[in-house]
Amino acid sequence: MIHVHNLDIKLGIFEIKNINLQIAKGEFLVLLGPSAAGKSVIIESIAGLIPIIHGKIIVNGKDVTYLKPEKRNISICYQDYNLFPHMKVRDNICYGLRFKKDKHHAKYAKNFKTLIKLLELEEILERLPLNLSGGEQQRVSLARGLIGNPDVLLLDEPLSSLDPNIKWTIQEELKNIHQTMHTTIIMVTHDFTEANYLADKVALVHDGQVVQQGTIENIFKHPQSIFAAQFTGFKNIFRLSKDEELKSFGLKQPAYIGIRPENIYIRHQPLTAYYQYRGKINSLKNNGIYMEIELITTDTKNSKRSYISYLTLNRFFELNLEKDMPIHFGFDKKDLIVIRP
Amino acid sequence: MLFRFKPEIIYIIAAATGIIILFFNIFPIINTFYWTDSETLIKTLFDREVLSSIWLSIKCASITTIIAFLLGIPLAYYLARHEFRLKTLIESLIDIPLVIPHTVAGICLLTVLSPRSIVGRFLEQNHIETLGTEIGIIIAMLFVSMPLLIDAAKDAFKWVPPRIENVSRSLGANQVQTFLGITFVLSWRGILSGMIITWARSISEFGAVIILAYHPMIAPTLIYERFTTYGMKYAIPANIILIIISIIIFIVLRLVSLGGKEKHDSRS
Repeated sequence: MIHVHNLDIKLGIFEIKNINLQIAKGEFLVLLGPSAAGKSVIIESIAGLIPIIHGKIIVNGKDVTYLKPEKRNISICYQDYNLFPHMKVRDNICYGLRFKKDKHHAKYAKNFKTLIKLLELEEILERLPLNLSGGEQQRVSLARGLIGNPDVLLLDEPLSSLDPNIKWTIQEELKNIHQTMHTTIIMVTHDFTEANYLADKVALVHDGQVVQQGTIENIFKHPQSIFAAQFTGFKNIFRLSKDEELKSFGLKQPAYIGIRPENIYIRHQPLTAYYQYRGKINSLKNNGIYMEIELITTDTKNSKRSYISYLTLNRFFELNLEKDMPIHFGFDKKDLIVIRP
Repeated sequence: MLFRFKPEIIYIIAAATGIIILFFNIFPIINTFYWTDSETLIKTLFDREVLSSIWLSIKCASITTIIAFLLGIPLAYYLARHEFRLKTLIESLIDIPLVIPHTVAGICLLTVLSPRSIVGRFLEQNHIETLGTEIGIIIAMLFVSMPLLIDAAKDAFKWVPPRIENVSRSLGANQVQTFLGITFVLSWRGILSGMIITWARSISEFGAVIILAYHPMIAPTLIYERFTTYGMKYAIPANIILIIISIIIFIVLRLVSLGGKEKHDSRS
């Protein structure tokens, strides 16, 4: 159990305020947020590499807040691997073992075997890091971080500088390792899909604060702030203040509503969705996998708004849509989110 | 085929100026050899005065380099890793000896070491003689060459990413273990070339040394004395020997510092 309690950090003018995190043993927590939100600073302070102003960090019941990094048993892996260039892969992986007080050789030997197998490192053990690809280097870095049974493994954007296909492989390996070794992991990323695949729990970080915590599903379905909604893909967010409009959405006070672009239906005839509008197609953008369509309402009883909608290319060609074409569109009540300011 | 592409203008200029520079550097040194004959040269090789002055130069420069290393490395590491308000000021203060003419530096040191100053008095009371001794020579050499070592080591440390140290710390190595096992190993080549420059700077120092210690004579002082009292003919054989020894040592150290470069490179 890791407990981060009321953590405050100040780095120059950048401030991180009141961070509270709880991670159960063996859990995979992802700190998700845009770059420069302060995610890396949070994990570096958990590792003891950045001093904190106040707060508490408790790992398995032990207060580590003022311990030096080497006394915490928390290891860290970075985006840029940081292998020791003067050591062979084998020595890189085993580096941490020479500082271990307990000499459970059998335990670490078993870890070594497991990691070599899961990360497919057998072939490159005698090589120097200089001759390895990015993916291989990150695998070595993960093995190095995991071999000594850390209480927590911190991962700082570990997949961000890898080629897409390698990234998928390593992401899968990471999941396997987590399931095999049950290490508690805190990972930082700005990529929602990584969080979606790996995380047991997500903490959304924005401007040096944790703005929402929960399961990925919880955050995806019930974002509690405009930032969270935007970050998880709500392209259509509107502020409602007119009584008439509020009434039509069943609201009493001014609030924001949000709808995902993939939840907007487009038809040539009136449709049966709960909310429906008449409009025209303002612009079309082919994103390769899907079509991004900008719609503008044309019926006079509602105020003029533009919506973004996604269609699969198949569906798009089926509907035979063109720019400026008048259409009907709408969405269901269940897909709508309401954010109260 | 070879001349199918016209060379770029800047490369032509570089080639021309390069030839001038090399000529400017090497010709005076080679030309010295024409001013003497092998017989005198061999005789000078067994001239005890010459040999002991060269030995003294090498010894003092080496001790200076070791002291500069021990004093300079911790500070260089700190400066490479930290940003703070007065950093630029401190860095400028460290480099000041580089811009002071060497005789001026010698006189500044003399005012400190003379019995009229607190430091000089303290040294005298403890029977430590600096003026006219090897200690004086080393102090002069250290003053003018230490900045070179600190600057070189600082640059070498900056090449080692702080994150690699973070990883080492998080894996259980304390600060000293991380410094010795990772940072120093990855920056030693840069530090070593800084030491070579420091050593070379020390062995070539003359202005500051003669003010603190004309005797015992280091090689440049001896050559200067022979030149002013007996003229070119007597100065040149010792001159040549000093040139040869300096170049040999320089080449050996350079080879040592370049050795193993292909093995790994922290800057990749």
